[in-house]
Amino acid sequence: MYIDKEYLENYKNLLFSDFEEVREERDNVLKKFVPIYFDKKNNESIKNVDNNKLANLNYNYKKPADVDSAIKNSNNSYTIKLFNGKCDNYKDENLEIKNIDSNDSKFFFNNKLANTSDFLIDLNSLFLNCGVKIIVNKNKNIDIKILNIVLEDGLTIFQKNLIICEEGSKVNLVEEYNNQNSSIHNIYNVFEVKKKSVLNQFVIQNNSKNHELYLSSYASCMKSSEYDQKVYNFSNGYVRNYHYSELVEENSTVSHIGFFFINSDNISDNKTYVRHLAANCQSNQIYKGVLTDKSKANYFSNTYVDKIAQKTEGYQLSKGILLSKDSTYFSKPELRIFADDVKCSHGSTIGPVDENAIFYLRSRGISKNTAIKMIISSFINDDLENISNEQIKSIVTKNLNEFLDNIV
Amino acid sequence: MNSEITKTIDDINQEKYKYGFVTDIVSESPKKGLDENTIKFISNKKNEPDWMLEWRLNAYRKWLKMKKPIWSNLNIPNIDYQDIYYYSAPKGFEEKPKDLSEVDPKLIETYNKLGIPLAEQKVLAGVAVDAVFDSVSVATTYKGELEKLGIIFCSISEAIKTHPELIKKYLGSVIPTGDHSFSALNSAVFTDGSFVYIPENVKCPIELSTYFRINAEDTGQFERTLIIADKGSYVSYLEGCTAPQRDSNQLHAANVELIALDDAEIKYSTIQNWYPGDEEGKGGIYNFVTKRGLCKGKNSKISWTQVETGSAITWKYPSCILKGDDSIGEFYSVAITNNYQQADTGTKMTHIGKNTKSKIISKGISLGKSQNTYRGNVSFLRKADKSRNYTQCDSLLVGNNCGAHTIPYIESKNSSALVEHEASTSKINEEQLYYCRQRGLSHEEAVSLIVNGFCKQVLQELPMEFAVEAQKLVSISLEGSVG
Amino acid sequence: MFLDIKNLSVSVEGNQILHNFNLQINIGEVHAIMGPNGSGKSTLANVLAGKEDYEIHSGQIIFKNQNLFDLNIEERAKQGLFLAFQYPVEIPGVNITPFLHSSINSKLKSNNKDEIDNIEFAKLLRLKAKDLGIDKDMLKRSVNTGFSGGEKKRYEILQMSVLDPELAILDETDSGLDIDALKIVTEGVNKLKNQNNSFLIITHYQKLLDYISPNFVHVMMNGSIIKSGDKSVAADIEKNGFKIFQ
Repeated sequence: MYIDKEYLENYKNLLFSDFEEVREERDNVLKKFVPIYFDKKNNESIKNVDNNKLANLNYNYKKPADVDSAIKNSNNSYTIKLFNGKCDNYKDENLEIKNIDSNDSKFFFNNKLANTSDFLIDLNSLFLNCGVKIIVNKNKNIDIKILNIVLEDGLTIFQKNLIICEEGSKVNLVEEYNNQNSSIHNIYNVFEVKKKSVLNQFVIQNNSKNHELYLSSYASCMKSSEYDQKVYNFSNGYVRNYHYSELVEENSTVSHIGFFFINSDNISDNKTYVRHLAANCQSNQIYKGVLTDKSKANYFSNTYVDKIAQKTEGYQLSKGILLSKDSTYFSKPELRIFADDVKCSHGSTIGPVDENAIFYLRSRGISKNTAIKMIISSFINDDLENISNEQIKSIVTKNLNEFLDNIV
Repeated sequence: MNSEITKTIDDINQEKYKYGFVTDIVSESPKKGLDENTIKFISNKKNEPDWMLEWRLNAYRKWLKMKKPIWSNLNIPNIDYQDIYYYSAPKGFEEKPKDLSEVDPKLIETYNKLGIPLAEQKVLAGVAVDAVFDSVSVATTYKGELEKLGIIFCSISEAIKTHPELIKKYLGSVIPTGDHSFSALNSAVFTDGSFVYIPENVKCPIELSTYFRINAEDTGQFERTLIIADKGSYVSYLEGCTAPQRDSNQLHAANVELIALDDAEIKYSTIQNWYPGDEEGKGGIYNFVTKRGLCKGKNSKISWTQVETGSAITWKYPSCILKGDDSIGEFYSVAITNNYQQADTGTKMTHIGKNTKSKIISKGISLGKSQNTYRGNVSFLRKADKSRNYTQCDSLLVGNNCGAHTIPYIESKNSSALVEHEASTSKINEEQLYYCRQRGLSHEEAVSLIVNGFCKQVLQELPMEFAVEAQKLVSISLEGSVG
Repeated sequence: MFLDIKNLSVSVEGNQILHNFNLQINIGEVHAIMGPNGSGKSTLANVLAGKEDYEIHSGQIIFKNQNLFDLNIEERAKQGLFLAFQYPVEIPGVNITPFLHSSINSKLKSNNKDEIDNIEFAKLLRLKAKDLGIDKDMLKRSVNTGFSGGEKKRYEILQMSVLDPELAILDETDSGLDIDALKIVTEGVNKLKNQNNSFLIITHYQKLLDYISPNFVHVMMNGSIIKSGDKSVAADIEKNGFKIFQ
């Protein structure tokens, strides 16, 4: 294995390299990388991941030169540009944005998923080299847009962000990934959704072919909070979306919703995992995908209900449309239930575009191609109509139309 | 007999001799543990031809190299393969209980609840009875009738001698000896089981069951069954019995292979009610079964129905390989776990041929401190055009110390195939309980009734005579945990 | 006194529904309770049947000289208390015939009477079904599953006539019924009515009372009875609505 060599050689350049306890933790992570850890049958985190390639990565991180992070737009709207995972510090009455530097080693340990066997999160811990902390103050209602920009080819960015929504805050967060270079971008976002706060997150991914994005997230949801995540993947390059959340206190809700549209020989890996640890919580995990050409997709979903999490409502749905005979879709909707007073269910369908629907539309004079496009659009339309943010709506619609135009 | 085997048997006799056992029974049992000599002993004991011994040894050598299966959702104590007897001849009269009064009264109580006639109770409880009683003479009559139709129904040991061409062709053709550790182990040391061959265009007129097979007693813990339905034929096979079986072997690793040729149909029903261990979770059978059916021919059909209420640990996935175009695979399952039982059961439907169809209906009920897992795998390969799967798996939790888990794997590589999967987990519906109790049913009766209703889709797939007993069995399995 | 409800106060999930509720029913009487939505009518029915979600604050219910609160749901049923549900729950997979058969046998058994066998029961059920205009195919179906609203109500009345209760509580059995179904249901009730049983009919509309003649009509508002009288009370409500009592 090459990882350890790469790790030792570059250790000095990693974030928190001066801290002994961080070193210990990183060494522990490295110890996890034994052959059985890389058995794809037992480790869902690498199902389609080229782990040999990752194990042999060439570490290369560059701090950006002085850049304009342009933060405040108006009273309660912010745009944060993260160049190679860094930005300027900023603070006002609504929020604080802090570029992580070597003084903040506690940040490293903010990882509730340290004990899972997610290879990409482990790699992130090992090579962590950048990230920001965003704290939204109590009872503030703001919009944040984060543009994740990778500046050049051949970089390996291991970025971790910590986003804290303090009590009673309401945050609309938009994350955009629109990178056109051949880099490896591994991001791990940790969200703390505090009591009575609301976090609405939109993630829009539209990278080019050679750009690899490994996006992982973890959210802890406290009493009466709401966390709503929507991920749209239109990338031509590989994207791994692995999102974990825990309902830690009562009356909280979480939803992980995702859409992916992939073509050529691209791969889309997806996982959502919700752990119900308190009573009276609700969760939704819904992913829908359209696959053409030789593309391939996975969706793992999992609802875990602890013994004390009575009155849980957990729902999962997975839908795949295969447009080409060479495409492959795999789904594994899992339920692990240890409490009896629950309502949990999942549904999963994989198949072609509904022939009857095509027939119906064609009998009304619509061409076959248009009919197929209409049906695929309808796949996402229900969701689009519920988006109040017009800007998001138009970006998603534009990307969807581009995808549809390329299907013959 | 080759000299090596002779030598082995001598060794074994010597070994036993040391301890002073010099009766005929001594030569009936090899020593504990597994090595090539054990296998040679078994094969020799059964007067098997050399090719069969080779086949067994080959499996054994594969087994040696294999890793233990990874127990995803089961907690299994380590199994010491050297601490098991691999061959035991049927017990003599003197070792058996003399009459029902010597049998565990709890067992008798269950038999009575199931309404099992006294003569049958004796057989089930292993009471020494004369070989001639009603059902055996019934069996002899059936056997004559089956022979007239050209149906072969005998023990697999007998078939190895009388129908070597069929055994050579089909044994291990669906479950390769090296498939996984338990299939290899079974292939190496299997003691007996059933063999069925239904000739072309013959519809077997009765439900075949080991019950109707003479010498069906004590088939042992490594059972091997092979059923072949030739073109256009039909057979329904019943395995097991609703009554709990008395058995001292802890590890059971059976292999069942089904082969359906063009237009043939095999219906295989199981009621598994092995000893589940006591209320504290002590004892009980480990049931690691490999069951697989191959829909080899066009338009063939294999249907599995199972009611699993017994065993301390159940690990079982009756599967269908849908190779022939237009073939159909079905799986209907009820799994009930109580006390400390663990069940990890489900199915695997592999769609290879065009226009193949499969249906999965699974009902899991967890009670007490048990863990109940449905694990399923549905896959459509590239050429499985226009194939379909429908899966419905529902779990019911009774009480707050048990777990219900659903782990389906679904993969499609064909854009014209359609797979639909639905699953739900919930507790028993309070409104339904209230309604039933308002009509005068006790809480326990109401639970039993609702659970039976929940399982109905599966129970109705069982042959008539089984279905009624199965319903009673479901009720019995729920006892004690409804407070 | 056959049924005596005294100063009953009940709440559910912290909301008090019944306030010092009082009602006496003698054997052979038919009582009707009318009231607007949310007045506590269904709560009363469920408390009588023994549903476990309610918190009893005070008061008592004496039924056949026993404290009703000492009996659980099925014990009350065996004592002859029957509730025709407003929304009968579907029980998929549980066949009507064996369900009702075990129901009647559990009652017979607790009264130390001989249980009725399969064949005899099937005859009885078919006979009763015919009386109520219930198709015998319906008897092959699962309890309430896939039934229309009217079918569910008719099936409740069928169960009532088979079980022959001493106190029958009809919780808005008329709601959702068209006029023909209403006639069938009320005929069923009238056939069953005799000197040895009593009826408590809960309804929102006066229509039902055109077919079943009550001895007493009570008006219920905010969890207690605010007016009692004869059939003319119902006519008043029909004419002026519940607001005249407010």
